[in-house]
Amino acid sequence: MTRIRRPSARTTAVLQALAEEPGRWRYGYELCSQLGMQAGSMYPILIRLADRGLLETSWETERVPGRPARHLYRLTGAGRAYAGAVAAAAGTASRPATASPSVTATRRARPRLGGA
Amino acid sequence: MFIALALVVLAAGLLWLFGGQSDADAPARIVAAAVSQLPAHRRDWGRAMAAELTHFHGRARRWQFAAGVLRVVLFPPPRRRNRALLVAAAGLMAAAAATVAAASEVPGLAVFVAVLGLLLSGYAMAVTSRSPRARPTAPRVMVGVVALGGVAAAVATVVRIAAAHPAATTDGTHVFSILFALMLTGYLAFALTPPRLGGHANSDTVLWWALAGALASGVIWTAAALTMPPTAMGVIGYLSPVAAAATLAASAGASVAARSRRAGVQAGLLTGILAAPLHFALDLTTILQLHHYTLSSAYDVAAYPHSGYPDVASYILSDAVAGEIVSGLVLYPLTLLALALLGAVAGTGVHRLAARRTTG
Repeated sequence: MTRIRRPSARTTAVLQALAEEPGRWRYGYELCSQLGMQAGSMYPILIRLADRGLLETSWETERVPGRPARHLYRLTGAGRAYAGAVAAAAGTASRPATASPSVTATRRARPRLGGA
Repeated sequence: MFIALALVVLAAGLLWLFGGQSDADAPARIVAAAVSQLPAHRRDWGRAMAAELTHFHGRARRWQFAAGVLRVVLFPPPRRRNRALLVAAAGLMAAAAATVAAASEVPGLAVFVAVLGLLLSGYAMAVTSRSPRARPTAPRVMVGVVALGGVAAAVATVVRIAAAHPAATTDGTHVFSILFALMLTGYLAFALTPPRLGGHANSDTVLWWALAGALASGVIWTAAALTMPPTAMGVIGYLSPVAAAATLAASAGASVAARSRRAGVQAGLLTGILAAPLHFALDLTTILQLHHYTLSSAYDVAAYPHSGYPDVASYILSDAVAGEIVSGLVLYPLTLLALALLGAVAGTGVHRLAARRTTG
């Protein structure tokens, strides 16, 4: 059985926020405001997710006078799958232990993507 | 009085140096300066954070955001997490071993060794996190060697004092131990991974001028230490004419050669950073060479019997070590930074004058 490390609570929150509307580009200020998180916590999480290929980044193409272009973020296909898996694992963990041992083992045996 | 004047010059100079964007507030300037220090593969993230700051309104929120950006810049997510953790683990084990050895051999330095070990481990981990790095050039290697040599000499000198006169390095409050470790780590970090004030194109020019200034003042002070009879005052003050001249020459020379006042400031500051631990070690070594320690001031004669020190040598050396940490490692570079600013201004002025004469 392969044991995976669960992402931190903050990483889970960022993943869930991004997974709410997976097709929409989000930006740092919006995520910080939504989750009440400081930049010093948010950006390292976004950087790690992007390093692991779970987050797609882009620059705003429509230029708004008086401010620089923003960096935009959304989950990749792998990111969506991972966010779903994390949400499912979180649901399993919060529920009473009704699942059979074989089902729990299957749910844990995911590729090691955590640690962000 | 002189220190206060130097601090005023320093503050005015820093405002002038970084005050180019008149419409930007302090958090914006801090973020702009901080993100420019990110490693190349994280530059996009730096631009992203700088762009996002424009959407944060209110002084408190902007300062909070700037503090968060500083945190990301200081400890960016490591590209090679396992390597960074390995370096941190090795550093912590080395720090623990050094602390145990210090507690056994020179107990008065145990706190200093522990703090220095922890800080150096953190620095090594931060450097590993920020890789990949460009291949070091010859001046960068030489600056690294001089910086490591200076710090090693400073530590070795204090260890010698602790071994010969244990009471001289007893630090009941641990303030001096922590300050000493902080300053040495800061010096090493600045010399080994200097901020890119002068820009990539000018970095070698800055390093050569700083090396020349530091080595010139180090050689002159060594000659003075070897030829002049040792006194309990050492051979230097925190601002000798030699150090001042070396800093001014390095900053003016670099600003002319690189056509950049920032390059001049960085060269002058690096001159002081490289020279300070060398001077610290030289000065204390000179005092350590004394065969007979005598109290020279009326204050010391009155204070010594109540000081608790077992002998005059410990009393004088303890005073010298504390004085050198504060004046030699804290006030000395601050004063030299003020001189570096003046040197850079002078160098830029000379360059403009020469350019006008050429075109005129």
